[in-house]
Amino acid sequence: MFDLVDIYRENLAAWLPEMVQACFGTLKLAFLSFLLAVAVGLLVALLRTSANALVRAIAICYIEVARGMPALVILYIVYFVPPQIAPGVKWLALSSFTAAIIGLAIHGGAILAEIFRSGIEALHHGQKEAALSLGMTPAKAMAYIILPQAMRIVLPPVANYSIGLLKDTAVCALIAAPELMLRAKDLASSSFQPMAVFLLAAALYFVMSYPLALLARHIESRLSYSR
Amino acid sequence: MGFWEIMFEQFPYFMPLLLRGAIMTVTVAVGALALALLLGLVVALLKMSPLRMLHGLASAYIEILRGTPALAQLFVIYFGLPDIGIHPEPVTAAIIGLGINGSAYLAEIYRAGIEAIHKGQIEAALSLGMTPTRAMQYIILPQALRMMLPPITNFSIILLKDTALVSVVAAPEIMFFARNLVTETFLSMHVYLLAALIYLCMTIPMARVVAVLERNRQAWQ
Repeated sequence: MFDLVDIYRENLAAWLPEMVQACFGTLKLAFLSFLLAVAVGLLVALLRTSANALVRAIAICYIEVARGMPALVILYIVYFVPPQIAPGVKWLALSSFTAAIIGLAIHGGAILAEIFRSGIEALHHGQKEAALSLGMTPAKAMAYIILPQAMRIVLPPVANYSIGLLKDTAVCALIAAPELMLRAKDLASSSFQPMAVFLLAAALYFVMSYPLALLARHIESRLSYSR
Repeated sequence: MGFWEIMFEQFPYFMPLLLRGAIMTVTVAVGALALALLLGLVVALLKMSPLRMLHGLASAYIEILRGTPALAQLFVIYFGLPDIGIHPEPVTAAIIGLGINGSAYLAEIYRAGIEAIHKGQIEAALSLGMTPTRAMQYIILPQALRMMLPPITNFSIILLKDTALVSVVAAPEIMFFARNLVTETFLSMHVYLLAALIYLCMTIPMARVVAVLERNRQAWQ
């Protein structure tokens, strides 16, 4: 007879420390790829709103391509392809963890670029014109006038994106990046208790993502009041 | 041999298999979307129910499914259910897994759409003697649907991309064939680039549709 409570009573003491440790891998992966994705996203959003048509076209291509395919495909390309095309080059053969960070950041950079762009474009042009007419350079106007205001608009969607990212790190188990889902897969096959192990993994993801969801809601309600 | 020579040589072999995978990708996406549309509506209506209990249950359902990765849910369904004596087929597990996952997102889309309709609309319908069900059916839903169409289409793009996950439960879609081809030929770049291209051919037109729908909605408001 299948009894989850019994299984947990017997195994939880052994499983939990291992899985909690793997959670740190997930959090590290999510955090590092978030930082990289924000950097990529900002850069691409600036290129996307550039006055030069060619630069804009390149940014659009990047956004459409990186957003249009599943994160899994990007991860496979980043992880499996470079060692194949340049077999001798050591630094191109990325570790699964590095490949996971880069792959998620390429995908996330495109999503964030669109979020940042909508933030920049939501501001009235008067803001930029006023800044320029006060003698600011376009770069200064961007840094001191446009970006600080746009940040407020983009904060709620960025918070939502970070929740999605945290959950997307699970996909990195498929290139064997050391995180929670990989550990869960290993435990499930060594213990022959997939149901119990995967439910526990899901619960741990929930424990990590729910506070983020609450924070996102809090930010959203705070910002909607102040406008 | 150069990249293009290999590509030209292997294309006639790779493409039919990947396209067979693409048909499965679309099948799983459509199946999961249908399930998510139905289940999501039920959950949204429960969430808006005046009964505290039902509201609480629906909220818990939405929070739990949105708070955990789709991959974990698929694993529970495909690898976990056999523990209790249920052995789902890969494709069934894929459709049910993604459909249940999607229902939580759609429930929130439905609710946002319904709540965006002004209260006066339902009050007017009720004061004309419609039952609440009829008011929902003839007054609220048709208007809400227009609001919901862009986010639902957007959700279908995400769903289509999420089907890549179901290759891990052995559903024979694009990434499943791609992985097999790479194991067989070691041509990871050629195979994965073709796979990426097939996804882009599906998602980019859909993204255009979303943009048009979004413009129409704004014009209509």
